Amino acid sequence: MSFVRIQNVSKSFNDNRVLNQVSLDIEEGEFVTLLGPSGCGKSTLLRAIAGLNAIDEGSISVGGKDITNLPPKKRNVGMVFQSYALFPNMNVYDNIAFGLKMDGLKKHEIRPKVEQMLSIIDLKGKEASYPSQLSGGQQQRVALARSLIKNPTVLLLDEPLSALDAKIRRSLRNEIRLIQKRLNMTTIFVTHDQEEALTISDRIFVMNHGRIEQAGTPNEIYIVPASEYVARFIGNYNVWSREQLKGLPVHGLPEQGDMFAVRPEAIRMDTAAGDNENGVVADGKVSYVSILGNVLRFEVDVAGLPVTVDMLSGQSIEHLSTGTPVKLFIPRDEWKSIQKSS
Amino acid sequence: MNGVSGKKSAASRIGHLFVVIVILTFLLLPLLVTFLFSISTVWDHTILPKGYSFDSYAALFSDDRFLLALGRSFLVASVTVVLSLIVMVPTIFIVSLYVPKLERWLQSVVLMPFAVPGVVAAVGLIKLYSSPPFAISGTIWILIGVYFIIILPFVYQSTRNSLRSVNAAELMEAAEVLGADKPAAFAQVILPNIMPGIIAASLLSFSIVFGEFVLANMLVGGSYEVVQVYLYHMLGTDGHRSSATIVTFFLLVLILYVLVLKFGQRKPRTAVTSDAKEGNPFELRPDSKRVEKF
Ligand SMILES: Nc1ncnc2c1ncn2[C@@H]1O[C@H](COP(=O)(O)OP(=O)(O)OP(=O)(O)O)[C@@H](O)[C@H]1O
Ligand SMILES: [Mg+2]
Repeated sequence: MSFVRIQNVSKSFNDNRVLNQVSLDIEEGEFVTLLGPSGCGKSTLLRAIAGLNAIDEGSISVGGKDITNLPPKKRNVGMVFQSYALFPNMNVYDNIAFGLKMDGLKKHEIRPKVEQMLSIIDLKGKEASYPSQLSGGQQQRVALARSLIKNPTVLLLDEPLSALDAKIRRSLRNEIRLIQKRLNMTTIFVTHDQEEALTISDRIFVMNHGRIEQAGTPNEIYIVPASEYVARFIGNYNVWSREQLKGLPVHGLPEQGDMFAVRPEAIRMDTAAGDNENGVVADGKVSYVSILGNVLRFEVDVAGLPVTVDMLSGQSIEHLSTGTPVKLFIPRDEWKSIQKSS
Repeated sequence: MNGVSGKKSAASRIGHLFVVIVILTFLLLPLLVTFLFSISTVWDHTILPKGYSFDSYAALFSDDRFLLALGRSFLVASVTVVLSLIVMVPTIFIVSLYVPKLERWLQSVVLMPFAVPGVVAAVGLIKLYSSPPFAISGTIWILIGVYFIIILPFVYQSTRNSLRSVNAAELMEAAEVLGADKPAAFAQVILPNIMPGIIAASLLSFSIVFGEFVLANMLVGGSYEVVQVYLYHMLGTDGHRSSATIVTFFLLVLILYVLVLKFGQRKPRTAVTSDAKEGNPFELRPDSKRVEKF
């Protein structure tokens, strides 16, 4: 049996069904991400696990214990809030020690644990600072330490990085992942940033309107999106319906499927037709070129239909400038048939 | 361009200063004169007094009746404020976090005292509380009761603003997830963070009660003489003495207000939440709708 098991959880606010029969299983020590756009119910699910929202139906168990109806303080889950929610009246030391104090530990039992936590999050020497005297990144580390010190069964992180700037965000993200691995902490991480989800997770649950749309490893989600929704949400997939392609200079379409997704970097492009035995071929014209670091992104116009093509920059593609007529080739197995989303 | 606006702002600064000086003179001159009179010996047909002495202050502070009245005022004000805090702070906390539907009601109830003039309230209260089963007219109890109502808006507003500015809802949740039950979370996390606002509200309420005259005079008058009423009775007797009383009384209230300003403007170690706001807890915020986002 899985370590964290969420079964058929539903929750409505007034008449707004925010969680709709959500089920998911998480293994011990796993780092999973709930990924989805704003308002899809990620926080609500996380808060349900922490006991901050009562649920209407379903059950939640952690480590084989049913916690569905326990109050938050009895669940021993850790939660880090988007806005940190550090206690402004307490310094770093007291913030981190708070959970242990509530558990009734003695001062001399608390001290070594706090010191250990301070060294894990690399904030030694800041014990006496107040939250308002720390940077955003430091505050977030304190929030993390405050949760980890109780050795929770599962750690919940609700968009912990969204208030930080890009650089700190990336380094803190790696740091969280390292700490999580070191402590083998079962972790549920919430984000609406697909890049973040793809880099940090063991497994991703893509959420859509209170349901899990697809679950899988980052690779699975990225390479084989199950639906139009996931394809559109993940990366810069080209997503087309069969109708859209009708009558265009596109040849070799498969017989099956109504909705297709193609990764921009899977498309081959040149001025002349190459080997096209097994795949889809299209004629178009480069309409725009932009540089994304080591990748060039081409917008290609196929008789009015925009197609995004990514290619590694290099001398071999210098001749593909704006206005150049090109031939596109998409290998058969990169032409993904996906489910239409409403 | 710069020069013009510079000139203009200098001119308007002088204008402001002038207005401030006029107002201050207008307000402080009578007090200054009162003070001079209280320390004068003879002051009839000269511009300044002929001689000075602090005799009337000495007499005042050796008058048992004055000291007793002062004590009573302190007692009434302290009991009222403490009672109000004990009842209202938890109530406001619970309503604003857990039963926001009741918030509109609480707000209208709390603002009621502004709608009822003191004299009207006094007449009504005397009628109601002069006969059994509530024959408390003329006692300290009716004073405490009525002042409790009078200071409600101040206690409410400042507690409510403090709770909002520290993002109490989220702090409670964080504390609960960390293993605190609600009372412990309230006592250890919420209370210390709203303390500056509560202290400021207490001092303000205290000085309001301390300076209130109409109700004190009409409801209890001489049967439980507080310092405001004592002052009123003094006016008819010795002029120097009553001036000394006024000055003393004014200084006491002034000290309270200075404390209010000091605590009201002290920046609390603000919650480091995304929508935390610092500042004066008495600031009235027109938006009473909850916009906390989870
Ligand atoms: N306490 C509440 N009362 C009423 N509606 C709520 C409440 N909390 C959340 N909702 C609604 O539930 C829906 C999902 O909210 P939730 O906070 O779970 O979204 P989210 O996926 O975390 O979004 P975001 O990425 O913006 O944080 C939203 O439509 C929101 O308006
Ligand atoms: Mg959220």
